[in-house]
Amino acid sequence: MDFGLTQPQELLRDSIARFLAQDVGIERVRRAMDSESGRDEAIHGQLGDQGITGLLIDMDLGGSELGMQEAAIAAQELGRAAAPVNFHSAYVLAPLLLAGADAGDRRSALLEGIAEGRSLITPILDAPIDDGRIDGAVLYVPDAPWSDAFLLESGGSLHLLDASIPGIDIEPLETVDDTRRVAEVTFSGIDLGAAESLGGSADSTRRAVHAARIALAADALGAAQKGLHISVEYAKERKQFERIIGSFQAVKHICAEVLAEVDPVQSLLWHTADAWDGESDEIDHLAPLLKAHATEVASTAVTMTTQVFGGMGFTHECDMHIFYKRAGYDRQMMGNPTALREQAAAVMYA
Amino acid sequence: MDTLIGSEYDSLREEVRSFFAANEDAVVPAGPGFGGDASEVRRRVVEWQKRLVDGGYAGREIPQRYGGAGHEPDPLASLVIEEEFQDAGVSLGMENQGISMFVPTLLHFGREDQKQDLIRPTIRGEMIWCQGYSEPGSGSDLASLRTSAVLDGDEYVINGQKIWTSGAREAEMMFALIRTEADAGKHAGISYIVLPMDTPGIDVRPLMTMTGDASFNEVFFTDVRVPATNVIGRPGQGWEVGTYTLRFERNMLGRSNATESYVAGCVDILRETGLIDSPVYRDRLLKLEGRVQAMKYHQLRLLTDRLKKRDSGAGGLIVKLNNCQLNYDICALAIDAMAERGVLKRGSKHVRDYGNWQRNYMYALGLIIGGGTAQIQKNIIGERGLGLPREPKPAAA
Ligand SMILES: Cc1cc2nc3c(=O)[nH]c(=O)nc-3n(C[C@H](O)[C@H](O)[C@H](O)COP(=O)(O)OP(=O)(O)OC[C@H]3O[C@@H](n4cnc5c(N)ncnc54)[C@H](O)[C@@H]3O)c2cc1C
Repeated sequence: MDFGLTQPQELLRDSIARFLAQDVGIERVRRAMDSESGRDEAIHGQLGDQGITGLLIDMDLGGSELGMQEAAIAAQELGRAAAPVNFHSAYVLAPLLLAGADAGDRRSALLEGIAEGRSLITPILDAPIDDGRIDGAVLYVPDAPWSDAFLLESGGSLHLLDASIPGIDIEPLETVDDTRRVAEVTFSGIDLGAAESLGGSADSTRRAVHAARIALAADALGAAQKGLHISVEYAKERKQFERIIGSFQAVKHICAEVLAEVDPVQSLLWHTADAWDGESDEIDHLAPLLKAHATEVASTAVTMTTQVFGGMGFTHECDMHIFYKRAGYDRQMMGNPTALREQAAAVMYA
Repeated sequence: MDTLIGSEYDSLREEVRSFFAANEDAVVPAGPGFGGDASEVRRRVVEWQKRLVDGGYAGREIPQRYGGAGHEPDPLASLVIEEEFQDAGVSLGMENQGISMFVPTLLHFGREDQKQDLIRPTIRGEMIWCQGYSEPGSGSDLASLRTSAVLDGDEYVINGQKIWTSGAREAEMMFALIRTEADAGKHAGISYIVLPMDTPGIDVRPLMTMTGDASFNEVFFTDVRVPATNVIGRPGQGWEVGTYTLRFERNMLGRSNATESYVAGCVDILRETGLIDSPVYRDRLLKLEGRVQAMKYHQLRLLTDRLKKRDSGAGGLIVKLNNCQLNYDICALAIDAMAERGVLKRGSKHVRDYGNWQRNYMYALGLIIGGGTAQIQKNIIGERGLGLPREPKPAAA
């Protein structure tokens, strides 16, 4: 038995962490946060150069043909860096949905574009397709204003709709987590013929959704770990009553309790990603359970570690709130803990 | 035991209701549903405050010569009024550092001329105050503060810096803890001084908070001159006066009437989303209701202690700790019930209740920290409430 990252996986983690520390530092994250659109245009190409966009894409299409364990590693590092990218959508859900689409030149070209970090394709699950028309508003669509195309999923079938087609109205929404943005996308009665039909299956959609949830869980874990890290650093420096505050049991115990909650989530994440890679039946309850648990733990963690900073923790200037809000977004998107526990229970106790 | 409020208060209830009817044009609702354009909100809040003072519902027990209604202190009457306001979903008026914290302190420690000058405009919402306590090196350890004042003739000359000063830019006045006697002990050398914010030498720099508001500030003092008569209480009595103010801060932060309107708002969301029928949400909601109701009646117990001039002991010390956490947990439930909509913030299309849930979720966390952190509250409860020994002091380095 050997439970943990392999050596190549550790190398991957370290190289992603190094790239993010060098090129996607917190000042850059803050620039995206403070900008009106929230867009960091260059990041997609850079993630492509690093191979981060193509982790789940076949080698002959420019990817590295790795698995969910590696994607989870990337997601966790991106969360730790609060990188301005909806990785779970653009680089997990989209390529995995496409992987389940009908083989062909079109599919290959799309996946190549994603692997290079050239195309941003945004999936919309349960798209409003009815009677041969795409009609209706969809809320909370990640990255919509700068998506090249929407990958509409309905009952397992996929349709690719170029974002420049008339009849698509995009209105940005403002999210508490400024590092990632969502929008409302309204389709006004577009003929389904305007979209390319790409096949697809309910089964591959199901697996892709599990994978995206694993990525969000990993992101929340990374954010919680970073929050703990910076608060522990602060607790070692800040003095009150002529003492380092970390020497007060009240502060020490906050940090210790958060670690005790957060650390095991790492193990559950690895196990769940492994189950996804091994196509284990367990994944149908593990993925929702992991996302519920990881994001719940992350919420508690960031609530507590913010307090370590005292008044500083309530400021925009202190980085803590970035991780606090990051965890909040991860919690609510694609099913929150209560909804996902119900889903897991329905599978586990069927 | 008698939890009922006698029928002698029925006429007061009638009075409150007719006051609402007569002032319908100005009524400000309580709870998460009120918001919008900030200056319009402020205008309405101040107007409502004036009506409340004129009607005798705000500043109720403050003597008429200071601008209040001059009623005999009657906590039960206050309770009846609170209940009526709550049932009607109407705001009880402005709660801020001036009205809720400074005025009671001034009534207790102030000179007659100070009371006459400062109370009337404060309770009418015309004179806004900020609290100059915390400094970069002095938060939990407030008594280590270093902003200093030196007597020069009949003036104090103040130098130093305050931080995390909420609302300093909107404030006309500040009450501050300032070290006036450098050589006296840590607690003994502090004075409680009031100063107009437009005094030359005061520089206010805004700090943005995690909610996106610039409600925090740094306040710098460079040779700021104020009359020596601006001290409240005696020079050197500042620690006693300042901690008296903090008691009121903890009461203000621990109030439960805003809490109830937020629970009601939660129920609205659960009804709208259909989640009110979900056993999981019901269980969470009812756990919160249990805590809210317990704290509500806990307040009645504290009120009884006050009426009978009894010390509430530990019971009084837990209010801030409990209620700030409770407010946080209520917002968390509402946000969960909104699912993805819960990630939206103020100003966004589709955001519910002006983004008040998201903002107050973060603000409640701020208040778990502000006014004495949760950890400090627990130390106080343990030491003063339960008589446990203090943590050992470290050996001198
Ligand atoms: C929303 C908000 C509004 C505020 N408004 C004002 C205002 O208007 N005016 C004003 O003067 N101040 C204001 N403050 C400041 C507030 O009073 C301080 O932030 C608070 O007292 C903590 O001080 P600090 O920030 O220096 O943190 P620190 O005291 O440095 O605390 C850091 C951490 O150490 C812990 N700690 C410190 N000492 C001990 C101990 N002895 N035992 C155990 N744990 C300890 C704390 O609990 C905290 O977790 C506000 C703060 C907030 C968050």
